[in-house]
Amino acid sequence: MKLMDIAKVIRSKNAGPRCTTLDIMFANEADFNRVCSSNGLSKKTISELYDIPEDQIKEIQYPISMAIKYSLPRKVTAGDPGDKDVYGAQQHARLFNLEIE
Amino acid sequence: MSATGKLIKEFAGRPAYRPLKIIGASGQLGYGIPTPAFQRGLEQSPDLIGCDMGSIDIGPYYLGSGQMATARASTKRDLRKVILGARKLDIPLIIGSAGSAGAAPHLEQTIDIIREIAKEDKLSFRMAVIPGDVPKSIVERSILRQEIIGVDGMPDLSMEELANTTNLVGQMGLTDFQKAIELDIDILIAGRACDTAIFSALPVLLGFDIGLSIHMAKIIECASLCCTPGGRDSILATLDKEYFELESMAPQRKALPMSIAAHSLYEQNDPFLIIEPEGYVDLHEAKYEQISDRSSRISGAKWIESNKKTIKLEGSTKVGERAVLLCGAADPKFIANHEIILREVEKIVEELVCEDIPKDYQLFPRIYGINGVTDRPIQPSVPDEVFLMIECIAPTLERASEVVRTTKQYLLHYGYPNRLSTGGNIAFPFTPPEVSIGTAYKFSVYHIIDIHGDENLFEPSVIEL
Repeated sequence: MKLMDIAKVIRSKNAGPRCTTLDIMFANEADFNRVCSSNGLSKKTISELYDIPEDQIKEIQYPISMAIKYSLPRKVTAGDPGDKDVYGAQQHARLFNLEIE
Repeated sequence: MSATGKLIKEFAGRPAYRPLKIIGASGQLGYGIPTPAFQRGLEQSPDLIGCDMGSIDIGPYYLGSGQMATARASTKRDLRKVILGARKLDIPLIIGSAGSAGAAPHLEQTIDIIREIAKEDKLSFRMAVIPGDVPKSIVERSILRQEIIGVDGMPDLSMEELANTTNLVGQMGLTDFQKAIELDIDILIAGRACDTAIFSALPVLLGFDIGLSIHMAKIIECASLCCTPGGRDSILATLDKEYFELESMAPQRKALPMSIAAHSLYEQNDPFLIIEPEGYVDLHEAKYEQISDRSSRISGAKWIESNKKTIKLEGSTKVGERAVLLCGAADPKFIANHEIILREVEKIVEELVCEDIPKDYQLFPRIYGINGVTDRPIQPSVPDEVFLMIECIAPTLERASEVVRTTKQYLLHYGYPNRLSTGGNIAFPFTPPEVSIGTAYKFSVYHIIDIHGDENLFEPSVIEL
């Protein structure tokens, strides 16, 4: 099953001009737990999708909102010459097709 | 007696003796405040109206240039609405990060609008103003003492970059706001500030728990964004000794535990932490309980005071002048070969425009449909159409315009191998397809400094209107 068919929210945004943060939220505990225990979404898959070393990625599970958060450094500081997404609001799209077993 | 004076007197010797009602009127003042929810908020007899007016998320341009991100007319409409509301009830109005980026020119434009409103509506009040600008000499000293740290891996700040920074601000905190609130005022307008200070400074001064006050502030600074469904409407927070309660002033928006807790994720890299100049709030023990079908009660935030005060600095510097070429393409051969074509055209243009001067510009092609938004396509394919935005940053606008105009001509007619279409490679939605945008900026400063004895960094002054 694809992550986009399980999650309720998949979004990205800057957390300051040097950091992109990805939030994936679920409608119920079963879906949240299923993705938490799956290898489909992990620091490793995020590292591959975003070309960022695993040790620079922060992962936080936030059960109170049934959410998983990843924070990663931006390759280009927000608004620097050559940036493509100043707010970082469109960097989530490549998460949609992640396969969750 | 002024609006803050009355509250301070009422709570003197009776810390947090009754609940305090606070309206979060807007998370981005200047983009419109929905009137029905704001009016409903005023009907609840609030003690304070707060609005956030700025952010670093909008990028380096506004800070660097001194321009506001919001239109003057809509900013004035919003300011008038909250000023009239607060003056009618004779309660304090607190606004932070004035004019989008909170530097001197932003504060000046905001005060200018407020003066106009006071005159037009025949209002008189005492207004405190706190500039958010930080003298470069203080940062120079921090660099020399090596007491400055780049946030999230921001490169070290050099003296040269500091000198080139056009506007330099610091995020002031709740103690800076409190000094202004104690000046017996009706309205407080702050330059760049922690959004939490807007809503927490007064309650903490009146004896409310600092952790709870900051947690509440962090949520209501975005108005009803924490609700299901989230939105821009005003929100009411009722702050008590052990907890605070939230209710949106728009009937269709419900402040539910799940969405309120989820708000801690928004634009934050750690949902359990709120870092302030004076310490941090730990949210690991925070509790969210639903108390009606559309309101919740929140408790459990813990304040951990730091033994030194730190300030987060933000600064922007000019990088050049920006011009862009806007065009599209539908020829599959052109689209499939666009990388080679662009590389070749870039070379030809460079040979021409740099015949008599060295290369002094940067070119950034973005091919929408392929890699305009993200680094690389998720699934590489040849789309039916692409949009090309070719950006040039050069020392002058004339130079940037020269480069994109020349690029347009050679991109239009470049004869790539196996080309079938010899009429032109790109489509212009209109002419001229080149747009001169103006000065481009980048963040030069996003650092944290210790402030030692500079407790008077953000000094309030009072204007009588």
